[in-house]
Amino acid sequence: MALTPPPAPIVATLACEGCGAPLQLRAPGRSVVIACGACGAVLDAQSADHRVVARYEAKRTVTPRIPLGSRGTLKGEPWEVIGYLFRNTKVSGITYSWFEYLLHDSTGGVRWLVEYGGHWTLTKATAAVASTRGEREAEYLGERYRHFQTATAEVAHVVGEFPWQVRAGDKAVVEDYVNPPLVLSRERTKDESTWSIGEYLDGDTIWKAFGLPGAPPERTGVGAAQPSPYRPHSWTMVRLLAAFVGLALLVHLSFLGLSQQGLVLEADWRYHPKAPATSSVESAPFTLTGRTSNVMVEISTTLVQSWAYFTLTLVNEDTGAVRTFGREVQYYFGRDGDGSWTEGAPWDRAWLPSVPAGRYVLVVEPEGPGPMTYRVRLTRDVPRPLWLWLAVGLLTLPPLVFWWRQWRFEQRRWQDSDHSRSVFTSDDDE
Amino acid sequence: MTKVYSVFGGLVLVALSWIHFTGWSPSDVTEEKTPPSVRDNPGSYRSAYGGARPYTGAK
Repeated sequence: MALTPPPAPIVATLACEGCGAPLQLRAPGRSVVIACGACGAVLDAQSADHRVVARYEAKRTVTPRIPLGSRGTLKGEPWEVIGYLFRNTKVSGITYSWFEYLLHDSTGGVRWLVEYGGHWTLTKATAAVASTRGEREAEYLGERYRHFQTATAEVAHVVGEFPWQVRAGDKAVVEDYVNPPLVLSRERTKDESTWSIGEYLDGDTIWKAFGLPGAPPERTGVGAAQPSPYRPHSWTMVRLLAAFVGLALLVHLSFLGLSQQGLVLEADWRYHPKAPATSSVESAPFTLTGRTSNVMVEISTTLVQSWAYFTLTLVNEDTGAVRTFGREVQYYFGRDGDGSWTEGAPWDRAWLPSVPAGRYVLVVEPEGPGPMTYRVRLTRDVPRPLWLWLAVGLLTLPPLVFWWRQWRFEQRRWQDSDHSRSVFTSDDDE
Repeated sequence: MTKVYSVFGGLVLVALSWIHFTGWSPSDVTEEKTPPSVRDNPGSYRSAYGGARPYTGAK
């Protein structure tokens, strides 16, 4: 299907009664006033002589990001920029400013395109009456919106045409309620109160829609109605975490059920530092079967207020391969001004990794300051719980980071509101 | 991010299965001997209070 450009708009040209600058009337018949950006004169757009109905001193020159007369399609509807307001508000001595572009279409419809800090909202009058629920909530078409901010907004600069009387210096109390990506706003003056509903748009969409050159302005902070990139995935992360932890538990339990866990050696020996024969003992031969897997080594002693160091050597009688390792057991206890204390334990447990099947003997060489009896137990193929806990920890880490980032995103959204709970001062962008 | 996490979670589960199957461990099972200076001052590190750790092992 061939695309056909929209028909060219009817534009009337006139000269500003205040300064003579050329002005273009893009919605003749519908616009009530037209404001001259050069001199600050506000002209009657409906009278034949376009007389000046108001004048303000343009204290500063502002350059709109979207030029008047720009045409584009947003949300499937064609729009043309016919005017803009530059508004500001002062909160705690700080002035915040934003643009509000007035869009109109050929049928007389109007929208506001609001831009603050690189965040854009396409706004229209509500189709039904919104209502507030206390001071912290509003409701519109069954959806609830959280109060974000109430401030007095003043028109600082006005250029273009408008279907109502507008002047620089006009003030209104603006209340914003958010339910991203929507923002519900109420503007109150002494004469009227109006509700509007806006939807967040990103700058790229605006630039593409209006065919604007360059790139849209960088976003600062998080917009009031900016949709969270994390929220849509939050429940998915919960479900994935639950599934992965459940599967890790299943893997561990399966190995517990299927592994050998067979006791292959249990031997009791005595040790005396003055008896050389006890300083090296050798077990009876034993056999490790099955695939290459671990061997759990347990040593229990009669140590009290003492220590012992065990050098253990696992000798493969089939191949001659040896695995030597050392374990220390120490056990002390006492009582002092802080209460009772203990240090160490009279036993030890370790996992010898990746031991091939074969016929083995265990050589034990204990050393220590005093006599003791001790028992050594070797158990083949024992799933180590540590790996389950490490796996659960690893699986939990990414969701924790995800949720922290989600929380931080919301903190940054609300730090500019009347309900700031944030301690963050960063203004980095999302 | 959920896709990355899905892949990551799958790899963790594969690693857990492989470690359980082979009995592999990255850590050295050998403990160093405690220096005499530490042995001569038992209790100075106060690893635990209130009694010995429970044990259900060899004895």
